[in-house]
Amino acid sequence: MSGLFQVPWSDYQSDLLDALGRTVSYTAVSFAGAVLLGLAVALLRLSKAWPARAVAAVYTEVFKNVPLLAIIFLTYFGLASAGIRLDVFTAGCLSLVVFYAAYLSEIFRSAISGVHAGQTEAGEALGIGKVGIFGHVVLPQAVRQALPGTNTMLVDLLKSTSLLVTVSAAELMSEGRLITSATFRALEVYLVISAIYFALCYPLSQLLLLLERKVRAGVPLSPWRRRRVRAARALLAAELNGDIKTGSGFRTDPERKEAAV
Amino acid sequence: MTEPVITEKTTAPAGAPPTPSEAVVRIEGLSKSFDGRLVLDDVHLEVARGRIVSVIGQSGGGKTTLMRCVNLLERPDRGTVEVAGEVVHEGGRTVCRDLPRLRRTVGMVFQRFNLFPHLTAVENIVLAQRKAGIGEQEALERAVALLSRVGVAHRGLAQPEQLSGGEQQRVAIARALALRPEVLLFDEPTSSLDAEATREVLSVMRELAADGMTMLLVTHELPFARDVSDHVVFVDGGRIVEEGHPRDVLDHPSQARTREFLASYGTAS
Repeated sequence: MSGLFQVPWSDYQSDLLDALGRTVSYTAVSFAGAVLLGLAVALLRLSKAWPARAVAAVYTEVFKNVPLLAIIFLTYFGLASAGIRLDVFTAGCLSLVVFYAAYLSEIFRSAISGVHAGQTEAGEALGIGKVGIFGHVVLPQAVRQALPGTNTMLVDLLKSTSLLVTVSAAELMSEGRLITSATFRALEVYLVISAIYFALCYPLSQLLLLLERKVRAGVPLSPWRRRRVRAARALLAAELNGDIKTGSGFRTDPERKEAAV
Repeated sequence: MTEPVITEKTTAPAGAPPTPSEAVVRIEGLSKSFDGRLVLDDVHLEVARGRIVSVIGQSGGGKTTLMRCVNLLERPDRGTVEVAGEVVHEGGRTVCRDLPRLRRTVGMVFQRFNLFPHLTAVENIVLAQRKAGIGEQEALERAVALLSRVGVAHRGLAQPEQLSGGEQQRVAIARALALRPEVLLFDEPTSSLDAEATREVLSVMRELAADGMTMLLVTHELPFARDVSDHVVFVDGGRIVEEGHPRDVLDHPSQARTREFLASYGTAS
């Protein structure tokens, strides 16, 4: 065991930090892009126009059934040979975006269509316009449904950035390969690299689980919702206290006061 | 269980002072088919301001479809729909250019409540008000006053899933009232509730009726329809078979089909 750790890690500290930063950048940029593209594809698949549905279905099926590695090679080497030369960061992110958007679109589509039709009807009956219904009624409920699957995809995407080692993307895995070729200590290096991935992914997935629980419990997360709930709490407390004082019907049950404040 | 408490009077709809004979809802010659099956056939119906009209009949008889034609959640194939003096649908075409405005004039309470599950009770009532251009503070104050009015202010910050059926339906009534509609539609509001919750909801509806709210309701609660309504309409097979004063229709029906329905209702309950 004593012979296992012999790599001079302090020499590689700043390189590893750079690589870590790059892995996080690839993950953040690609995930944001994949969510946007995935949502657009999901909306196309739910469109009333069949050509839109067809385009979205073909997209989803193609990118779900081609390996990510093949997509990475196509965008980096394939496009370059066709004269479209993308830098490694753009090519890497583009590959991850198109691949994960296909999966996310499926999650989003089922989440959106899973929102009960009565919800849209209630919105319509209240005179809320189409955009308002989508933004305030359907989407928040779809997000609740989609969150577990989406979170799994985020962690999966983070791990998949390691495939970018094949195009020397200077992320964690590429850095590991560099250190290995300098030290010939493959076991030690890849153990450390794996531990770094774990240290990134495990807290992230736990954090996302916490977020899921909060959203499911209806905890207001946005500042404007917090403000609204705070104002409502004050008004409700005043209303209940007023009622209790004037005795206009409410029982002076302390439980009920607590429930409101 | 909390007895619903009405602490403030219904605000009269904006505009001209109510005249008793003025029709808030007028439906003429309305027909509607689904996939070639005629569910409403040449139906005429009028709800005057301040009046309560109950629509009764068997399930699948077209009652709910009739009600949904008022706020155009269903579009009639033929006939005229007039709301608050404005023709909104005529000859199979929607004439009303501003559907959200029409729907704010007509409040609706659903059988399955249809509260927004991701929002608290109070936010459920605020949302549509904000979309209608009402300021945040005013919308909140109105929501709290309405929650208090239907007796669920102490549950104002609960999520719908934390509320009992009766509480959910009372929040739904408060939500429908928030836009100060000219008429309230109730689509079997107590059908998915147990006896206690039914009592709570009917009590709120009774208070609204006493306050002069114009209401059109589809209901299986015949004793309630008898007590509260000014007019009862019996719909069967997509047609109005009989209508009139509740005591006439429910106690002395003139049509054999009505008697048959009332008899089966009697045995069923």
